[in-house]
Amino acid sequence: MFGHHRRLRWRSRTVMVIGVVAVVAVSMLVAVGASSGAHTKTFTVAFVSQGTSNSWAAQLDAVARKTAASLGVKLVYFNGQGDATKQLPELQTAIAEHPDAMVVVPLGQAADTGPVERAVNAGIKVVLCDSKINSQNYTSLVNPNPATATVPLAQWLAKKMNYQGNLLYIGGLPGNGTTILYDQGFHSVMSKYPKIHIVNGGNANYSISTAKQLAATAIASGTKFGGSWGVGGEAVTGIMQAYVDSKVRPIPPNAGAAATNGTLRLAIQNNIQAAMLQFPPADSKVCIETAVKALKGQSVPKNINISTLPQYGDLFPPLTKYYKAQYSDDMYVGTDAVLSHSELAALHLTK
Amino acid sequence: MKEGGFLRLPTRVATTERGLGAERRSLRLALIEWSTQRRARLYALPLASAALAAVLLATLEPGFYRPANLHVLMQQASVLGLVTLGQLLVLLVGGIDLSVGAVMNASLIIIALMNQHRSALALSLLACIGLGALVGMINGLLVSLRSVPPFAATLGMLACIQGAILVYTKGIPAGNIPASLRPVALVGVGIVPYSLIICLAIAIVLTFALRRGTYGRKIYAVGRSPEVARRVAISTTNVRISAYVMCGVLAALAGIILSAYVGYVDPEIGGNYNLESIAAAVLGGVAFTGGEGGAIGALAGVLFLLVLLNVVTLSSLNPFTQLIVQGVVMLLAVSVFQFLKNRTAI
Repeated sequence: MFGHHRRLRWRSRTVMVIGVVAVVAVSMLVAVGASSGAHTKTFTVAFVSQGTSNSWAAQLDAVARKTAASLGVKLVYFNGQGDATKQLPELQTAIAEHPDAMVVVPLGQAADTGPVERAVNAGIKVVLCDSKINSQNYTSLVNPNPATATVPLAQWLAKKMNYQGNLLYIGGLPGNGTTILYDQGFHSVMSKYPKIHIVNGGNANYSISTAKQLAATAIASGTKFGGSWGVGGEAVTGIMQAYVDSKVRPIPPNAGAAATNGTLRLAIQNNIQAAMLQFPPADSKVCIETAVKALKGQSVPKNINISTLPQYGDLFPPLTKYYKAQYSDDMYVGTDAVLSHSELAALHLTK
Repeated sequence: MKEGGFLRLPTRVATTERGLGAERRSLRLALIEWSTQRRARLYALPLASAALAAVLLATLEPGFYRPANLHVLMQQASVLGLVTLGQLLVLLVGGIDLSVGAVMNASLIIIALMNQHRSALALSLLACIGLGALVGMINGLLVSLRSVPPFAATLGMLACIQGAILVYTKGIPAGNIPASLRPVALVGVGIVPYSLIICLAIAIVLTFALRRGTYGRKIYAVGRSPEVARRVAISTTNVRISAYVMCGVLAALAGIILSAYVGYVDPEIGGNYNLESIAAAVLGGVAFTGGEGGAIGALAGVLFLLVLLNVVTLSSLNPFTQLIVQGVVMLLAVSVFQFLKNRTAI
């Protein structure tokens, strides 16, 4: 009987001890879980993109999505549809969702200024990707700078022309921010060489067919050009196609293209001496990474000039080392460094 | 438009069968008489302007007459010419087509994609023409049967085609332009490219059809006054649909030739041609209100626009000044044309 009571007391003590240990263990687990959750919170980043409009934007989006996934960030996509007026309501909707951060590819330098400032004032980290706005009120601007990147290209071209002769110039889109920066760099160099006569072939408005028509007319005029300059890949492609079809040989050296596999192919196949800069859609990787760094409280530069990064520098002859025959003309240099072959195939970038 | 320039309608609508027949005959005669006299006077204006411009060019920009430059000009004229001929038909029936640029773009995408899949070139060209006809038919049905304003119907169609292209290509069109297509735009008889010969052949057929054929009279009648056309038993629906279908087909053909000319898969191709084709037609004497203008005038408008662009490019003016010069000359041309047209209508 006595032994039975002792056993009962022992059992109840054991149950109590186990209960206390269990409570303590659960409390510790909860505490540890809560604190570790604070470190692994999934950030939400709104990506207000240029949107489905061209191959550059498609590659920009694919790289951004892949980078966000690899960093464990929830990326909410807003489609600007390649139009500033269509992008604006998307931008406003994104702000209303109050994400942790925003990566914006501004299509309207003036129109996007107000909304971006409102977002920053509301405590949202805003990284501007590839274009700027009319304000310094943002977290970081990740942008190739054509005003500086075009300078070595223009110097290379002037040297190739022996600092004299006619230079065919095909412009971009009047008033466009990138065109203005391109022209700044180009004219800052060419103004030093008065013996180089710039022949204005007109503005191609970033259209290959328009550039080809303008260049073909200029070539057919009989003027002998010692070099040609196009604002962007479309203008340069048009110039090269016009020269190839005109049968004028040798084709003079060219500069100004934003390097794509297509511009590289045209230059290599037709023995055109060409120098190009990079306007890489793969830089959306840097944009997303910068946003995440800012969210983690790390300091990020106010301006990140993509053109100064080693992988995004200017391209000079020989161009064969940059050309990838297995990919289509639309692939920008550098995209294959981020996306796998199957991901490129999904974007129609493989042959 | 002066009152006296328009055909006079019978004041009383006959109720008997015989009376109705007589009325239809008189209306047909009035239509024929009006259109013949009026067009003869209008064609003289753009042609005289072109001749004057040719003389001025020889003096101001002698480089213009270099064979290489004329060859380039002809290559460009064939593309814009074909689109403008299609736009002319739609404008004549009182419509407008803002989807021509998208059809041209779609043609390029079809050619490049089918080339990538090793399809026969003829098959891809047929697919382009078929697409143009289909788009034109839908436009025509929307405008004729559902009474959708032409501007809205064709603008909607433009968005649909561009959206479909983006969905399919994801913004990255695959493939290349087949080398076998390129001679259509680059080679020809002497300095005249085959593309221009095709364009001129279509223009001649169209001129005859519009001037001499029954179909031409129906087109002018529907554009001038759909009510009168209905009274003389012309199916305005069929005429409108046929005009849009032909416009779509010609836009597809222009897209094929432009693809051959550019030789590169340009996803933005064709965008300028919506407004340029309308501008060329209007410069050539085609009225927005319908029922006025012809193929020769429209081609003269094309020539005017392209010669202007050519000369401005040759002049090597600052690109911003180039735009101003183009705008001012176009405004002057339209103003002078309207002035002369009003004078001849008195």
